[in-house]
Amino acid sequence: MQYKIEKNDISTLIDILASVYDLFGPVKTDGLTKLARIKSASNLDLESFNTDESAKDIFFPQYETIFNFKDGEIKNEFDKNRPIAIFGIRPCDAKSFLILNKAFNNGGVNDSYWNQRYTDAMIFAIGCNRPSQTCFCNWVNQGPFNKEGTDIFLIDLGDDFMVESCSSKGDDFLKNVSKITLQNPNPGDLDKVNQIKREAEILMSEKLDLAPLKSILDTQLLDSPLWNEISAKCLSCACCTYLCPTCHCFDIQDEKKPGTNQGSRVRMWDSCMFSLFTQEASGHNPRPTIASRMRQRIMHKFNYFVENFGEIACVGCGRCVRTCPVNLDIRGIIKRIKNEG
Amino acid sequence: MKDNPYIPIPVRLKRTEIESDDKTLRTLDFTLCDENQAFDFMPGQFCQLSILGKGEAPFGIASSPSEKGFLRFTVNRVGGVTTALHYLKEGAVIGMRGPLGNYYPVEKFKGQNLVIIGGGFAFTTLRSLVLYIFANRKHFNDITIIYGARRPGLLLYQNELTEWEKRDDIKLFLTIDEKVPGWDKKVGFVPVVIGEVAPKPKDTWAVVCGPPIMIKFTLLRLFELGFSAERIYTSLERRMKCGIGKCGRCNIGSKYVCVDGPVFSLAELQKLPEQY
Repeated sequence: MQYKIEKNDISTLIDILASVYDLFGPVKTDGLTKLARIKSASNLDLESFNTDESAKDIFFPQYETIFNFKDGEIKNEFDKNRPIAIFGIRPCDAKSFLILNKAFNNGGVNDSYWNQRYTDAMIFAIGCNRPSQTCFCNWVNQGPFNKEGTDIFLIDLGDDFMVESCSSKGDDFLKNVSKITLQNPNPGDLDKVNQIKREAEILMSEKLDLAPLKSILDTQLLDSPLWNEISAKCLSCACCTYLCPTCHCFDIQDEKKPGTNQGSRVRMWDSCMFSLFTQEASGHNPRPTIASRMRQRIMHKFNYFVENFGEIACVGCGRCVRTCPVNLDIRGIIKRIKNEG
Repeated sequence: MKDNPYIPIPVRLKRTEIESDDKTLRTLDFTLCDENQAFDFMPGQFCQLSILGKGEAPFGIASSPSEKGFLRFTVNRVGGVTTALHYLKEGAVIGMRGPLGNYYPVEKFKGQNLVIIGGGFAFTTLRSLVLYIFANRKHFNDITIIYGARRPGLLLYQNELTEWEKRDDIKLFLTIDEKVPGWDKKVGFVPVVIGEVAPKPKDTWAVVCGPPIMIKFTLLRLFELGFSAERIYTSLERRMKCGIGKCGRCNIGSKYVCVDGPVFSLAELQKLPEQY
């Protein structure tokens, strides 16, 4: 069911959400946009394009305590007081949660830390009226108005938002929200939505069919000189994986206060692009070169993840393209691989 | 936070003993601090041992499910956690997560012959397997064990090996790389000894654990003898953190050594990229 709400009502909506949820939304600080905790709509930034940082940090923090310890006793301090809501992420980031959810709950062992935050979260996503030049969500079975992974989906109509529930959680929310007027859209509004979608479609780069990619990677490219060529200018800096909304590799370390018996076991993002990632104590490293690590990154997203979970671990957000210091463009890599087929 | 897979359970060090003459290997026996806690595992599985403030590292379980009252690990001193484990005093309490990973397919081995081939300190989970077989001996046919190390002092579990030599229901071949005074057993690399022993491939499974170079030539020799890739099993090691298939570093192709392994058949490995 689609409704229309006035943009003026957004601040009321944010107030309602902030009173119930631990609420996150896009904000701009120091010239960079990211998802941050918000209490009101005053610093909400819905105008900027997709945030510079992905939304994964909300459910899978860059650095988090697994447990604290003191004198040999383990104290599990994880304490989430309120469910999390996110307002205003883009469809690519919403989709990334579904991918991460698979990764964190595979093999019959569930990741308590991810699940504690994600399972009862409420996700409001906004469609992308003006996709950027670096967007390629249409390559990975996505699109600027894809509703996967969202509870409530919004489309910016200028003075109003079109609002649609995409889950039972979303249904309940809209049913019980009383301080906001949910208008029934008129035919003109629906025409406008179609017009917006058409214009966004035109701005997207031409769709590339990635279905053949897996078998090309699987059968022809395991030991190809291509990886040396592709990675020749890569610095192995790992910007791409840190900003990627689907990269989920992490490290676990102990941190102890000097001179005491207390500290924490923490987990933090790690990256397959770092040589230490797989470096073994013996000195052996199964992925000793940048080419071998680049191969792992591409293979994981477009081959291994497809093998294990039935879908590509890329949502086409373009952050790795925008941020790479040497202008390595994953779209170019994908095209190169496809040409090998 | 029930069923949190990242929280270790407390275990107490019951016994610690130097295992090799170069003192780099040490065997540690632990007991669960909560004696009522169930700990069911199978030969080939591993645990993450955890020293608060130092970190965690994975180790194959060297004791057998048939041995009650302790869990055994043999630890090579190479880094921070392993050094801390070497310095642990009896009675100390540390953390443990597990059992993790899959195990040797003992059900497949039942009613069949088994050749167990080990090299160096990669004999830990093979000890678990051997003792499991001893405890269930009537379910298995001919058992051949070939175990080699560079020199006698680097063979693990020497007292037990001496006991095993007395058994008439197994064939045990111990070998060292070069002849030393007082050594009256085999001399030569493991693959060479396999050629001498020449186990018959019919109704036989092979389990091979050891350094990569030994594995490489052992496999060649097993193929020459007529073993198929489906009937050869090995156990792999990789750098690990979570041990539950999430942290992303121990994969070989689409398989994670920590959950899809560490035990793989050679046929499975042949489908995966050779490294990575």
